Amino acid sequence: MNENKVAEVKNLIKNYGTRDFTATVLKGIDLTICCNDFIAVMGPSGSGKTTLLNILSTIDKPTHGSVMLDGHDITKISNQDLSKLRRDKIGLIFQDYNLLDTMTLQDNIALPLSLNGVASRVCMQKTEELAGLFGLSDHLKKYPYQLSGGQKQRGAACRALITDPQIIFADEPTGALDSRSGKELMRCLKEVNDSGRAAIFMVTHDPYCASYAKDVYILSDGMMKCRLSRGSGRKEFFDRIMDAQISMGGDFSCD
Amino acid sequence: MRLMQLAFLNFKNNLKNYLSLVLSLSFTILIFFNFQNIIYSDSFEVLGTQNKDYIDIIVRVISFVLGCFMFFFLWYSTNVFLTKRKKEIGIYVFMGLTNQKIGKMYMIETSLIGITAFVLGIFSGIATAALFQMILLAVSDIAVEIRFQVRIEPVFITAVVYLAMYLIFVIKGYCNIVKSSVLSMISASRQNEYVRQSTPVLLLKAALGACILGGGYYLAVKEGGQEVMGNVMAAVVLVTAGVYLLFGGLIPYVFQSVARNKKILYRGQRNLWVNSMIFRMKKNYRTYAIVCVLTLCSVTALATGFAMKIRHDNMVQFENTYTFQFLSDQPDIGNQAQPLIEKYSEISYRSDIPVLFLDNVNVSNRSFAGSYAVVPYSGVMRLAEQVGLSFELKEPGMDEVIEAGHLYLLSLLTDRSDITVTINGKEYRQIQETSEPYLGYLQEQAGYYIVNDAEFEAMQPFGQSLYTSNFKISDADMFEAVRDELNVLSSNTEENYTARVAVDPKSNDTDWVKVFYTLCIFLFLVFILASGSIMFMKLYNDSFEERPRALVMKKIGIDSGTLGRSIAAELGMAYILPFAVMTVSSYFSVHALEKMMHTSLFSVRIVSVLIVFAIFFFFYLISVAAYRKNVC
Repeated sequence: MNENKVAEVKNLIKNYGTRDFTATVLKGIDLTICCNDFIAVMGPSGSGKTTLLNILSTIDKPTHGSVMLDGHDITKISNQDLSKLRRDKIGLIFQDYNLLDTMTLQDNIALPLSLNGVASRVCMQKTEELAGLFGLSDHLKKYPYQLSGGQKQRGAACRALITDPQIIFADEPTGALDSRSGKELMRCLKEVNDSGRAAIFMVTHDPYCASYAKDVYILSDGMMKCRLSRGSGRKEFFDRIMDAQISMGGDFSCD
Repeated sequence: MRLMQLAFLNFKNNLKNYLSLVLSLSFTILIFFNFQNIIYSDSFEVLGTQNKDYIDIIVRVISFVLGCFMFFFLWYSTNVFLTKRKKEIGIYVFMGLTNQKIGKMYMIETSLIGITAFVLGIFSGIATAALFQMILLAVSDIAVEIRFQVRIEPVFITAVVYLAMYLIFVIKGYCNIVKSSVLSMISASRQNEYVRQSTPVLLLKAALGACILGGGYYLAVKEGGQEVMGNVMAAVVLVTAGVYLLFGGLIPYVFQSVARNKKILYRGQRNLWVNSMIFRMKKNYRTYAIVCVLTLCSVTALATGFAMKIRHDNMVQFENTYTFQFLSDQPDIGNQAQPLIEKYSEISYRSDIPVLFLDNVNVSNRSFAGSYAVVPYSGVMRLAEQVGLSFELKEPGMDEVIEAGHLYLLSLLTDRSDITVTINGKEYRQIQETSEPYLGYLQEQAGYYIVNDAEFEAMQPFGQSLYTSNFKISDADMFEAVRDELNVLSSNTEENYTARVAVDPKSNDTDWVKVFYTLCIFLFLVFILASGSIMFMKLYNDSFEERPRALVMKKIGIDSGTLGRSIAAELGMAYILPFAVMTVSSYFSVHALEKMMHTSLFSVRIVSVLIVFAIFFFFYLISVAAYRKNVC
């Protein structure tokens, strides 16, 4: 595997249902994610975006095909190794933040690292550094219920990044945010990607949010229909995404 | 569908969820019924009216305690149940049902649970009644044949007490639902907007708790005279209040301090479980306190039972030092009696000693309310040799006495120092105390002072001089025959005053103490099991709340092993905290008991704490298993 490759998907097929009734959600996806990539996947409802993300992020398993992550085929490694892979190499951001309401933002961000047995001093240092990057330094002592949606999501992004993962998987990260908070989050994620901290694989239905990515894949009916790459500017990229969306017929709502 | 049908359907479908509630309620009923059954059963009548009366009094007191316990248990379990069901019930609001109707449905459903538990409890109670009495009597070492019998009175009393209490909480639940807003109903199980408590409040509670608890401990072990009973009562109240404040103040404060110190927090799974502990503390601290107080009560109950048993055995031994005793103004009374006894049985040992019953004694801090007598030092020494009793008394001086007291089942006087005795105007200092049964039964009936031989002679004009002669027969079966034979010696005339004491070696007059002892063991087990069940119920309930969090943790890559270890640590702490506070507190409560009963209860304390530990450990294991199953 190429050193730059973080993930590689070959002929990915995913079926749901029983033997009598099978629905094929993903019909032979091929995809390569390199270490500096920022990929957004868009597509209409039911196109298989979230299924693809779940399989890539090891939450779900494919029916056929191979998924290489950090040089390991996730369909073949043990559950224990899978947990380790998920813990060390992957960061996850969800639409509904998924912060633990029992602890402060600081403890939430430090959680994955502290559970990995990293020294307390390092945990604190990294938490503060990431919080600074995401503009959360003043909110570290607060509990999730004391934070706005945008702050929670940025907190979740910090938590995803604290273990220095190779790749961040983001499932509709701006889905529950107002446009201002959404923009702020995307700006932060872009900064993370630009600084080379991690590749980002994001599923979204929001063309504006997708325009922050370097590449946009449009998924339809379980297959990759087209790939758009960012050119000169974000505005121009946004227009192209909109055009593609219109040409494919209507709005890409979430799955 | 009618309301009744809907409620019944709900009940039927959720029976599995209600099972723990139904079983715990029926267990409470079973215990209460069994105790009531003792009062109305004739199994104990064989022990005689006096014993039966004592046992009835004890059982009534225990029933009252169990009644109180039942009240709190119902309060607690129905509350937990209501919170759990409220969210589900809240959905009916969207179907257009009014709060009143939902309340009614809740009432029907809860009544069905209550009645099921009652029927189950009563039937299992009836089924186990004979077994319960059999165990009770077997442990008490009393041989009685138990018949299977069902009487309506205990069923009736249990029904009235339980159903009345249950009704109160059903109505309380109804009022609660009627008054609730829709929002509070649907979010009843997600009231997470509280996490930390303010440090000054916690510190204040902690300081107050420490002072109150310390005060309680001090009062429990403080030596004193008649005020000891008051002190003990106050200690019980103070320790209970102190434990509440400790769990409400100090323990959350310690945990919050740990959470603030990230160097300690970010190690192992602490970040997860310490925060979880803090998060639940405000909701759970009362449970920890209740469990702590309950286990403390149970350990104390067990220690009381053991102390009573030890004291009782000693007292029986004390009383049975001699089979026959004579108190007479005839110096040769012993020689008159001996041939009469020897007609039927050999004599194991005999002793004789002169005694002087005093007319005028003034004792400071007295432990005995009756008459007082003095015996000469050398006479007691000789008697000890004849009977084979230990004699470790130093000879008193002319102004000194040694008290030969007897054993009490329970004595409130714990301060026995610095006692002076005034006999006919002369002051004597009490230099020693002994409870060796030199005078056997007679020693229980009067207060005795051992004095210097010369002083004994000098005192002769101030009282009535009598002679005692004491015999122990070797053949206990001949007791009645010898007693009848000795009747001829009893006399109460001017020329001859002779009183005879006969102590039946096979008497069962105090068998109630044995039953009391067994009931204490039983109560200990009931309370410990109840404490364990309360903890289990609480934690099991918490696990439902924890489920979504566990899902989040899994999503972010926390494996089930880590989650399991965090659960084990959190639940372990939940069990250790009440156990630790109970262990410390029990030192003081049992120590107070030791002083009142003049009995060493060290081994009882250690054993009971170990039993509590074992039972808690068992509940801990099943709690962790159930929690993990629910969460992981």
